[in-house]
Amino acid sequence: MPKNPERRTIIDEDAGLIKAINSGRKTLFYDLVKKYEQKLYNFGLRMCNEPRDAEDMVQDTFLNVYKYLADFRYEASFKNWLYRIASFACIKKKRKSKFAPQKEISLEDFIPEDKENIPDSLPDWASEPLEKVLNDELSENIRKSILSLPEKYRIVLVLRDIEGFDTKETAQILNIKPANVKVRLHRARLFLKEKLKGYFKDGS
Amino acid sequence: MAAKKHAHKKCISVFKKLSEYIDGELDEKTYEEMRVHIKECVKCEVCLEMLRRTVDLCSNMKMLRVPDRLREQLKLMVHGPSNP
Repeated sequence: MPKNPERRTIIDEDAGLIKAINSGRKTLFYDLVKKYEQKLYNFGLRMCNEPRDAEDMVQDTFLNVYKYLADFRYEASFKNWLYRIASFACIKKKRKSKFAPQKEISLEDFIPEDKENIPDSLPDWASEPLEKVLNDELSENIRKSILSLPEKYRIVLVLRDIEGFDTKETAQILNIKPANVKVRLHRARLFLKEKLKGYFKDGS
Repeated sequence: MAAKKHAHKKCISVFKKLSEYIDGELDEKTYEEMRVHIKECVKCEVCLEMLRRTVDLCSNMKMLRVPDRLREQLKLMVHGPSNP
């Protein structure tokens, strides 16, 4: 039972493991690493231009988690807390690079106009199963398109549409308002849709 | 021949909320208004489906495996150099 009823704690599937680690069984930390290393590495690959940066980010993140795990208060799930640290590590890494332009994406840029010739019927791909169309070439195309998104939009898209966090969780992870998550996500998706236009035209 | 003008007021207001529509984050009234419009406007329906497919493609991307080098470094970080 929580000592302070005012403090909001949440049920966390990792709580038992974290308590064991914090009670002195330090080697159990590797169980946490094994559970999340692949997810974090792939998160890093979506966020960093170089795979080596993704590797560094994973290491930095686990080092910080190890350092601060005793302070973890169960006010967010462990996974959300982990991604908060990882997101911060990605942003920090990016700022260290020489050029990190924070371009704004405007909604107006994507509003379809007549000349753009939106099809008058749904193309064939709309009914194709995803596993059939998501081949290596398209995956690579999506990967590059995501990397070309300005960072503040990219991180929201990756957390929401790839990592599967909801709007509220994403807002907590990034310490921004849910309304900002929605705005950035919509623009990021429109940007990506525009980048994948060729695929949508051809349907393959 | 000029195509029927698509960028009219209603279509633009629908366009701005397509992500919230996909994510089920709209109130019932707005959702229903959009649903009715999209049913009648093929161009908005195409926009919606293209965006929905963009989201689905992202959600279904394959995960790559962790490089052995990184895995070893992480193991070393926890267990130290003496343990296997």
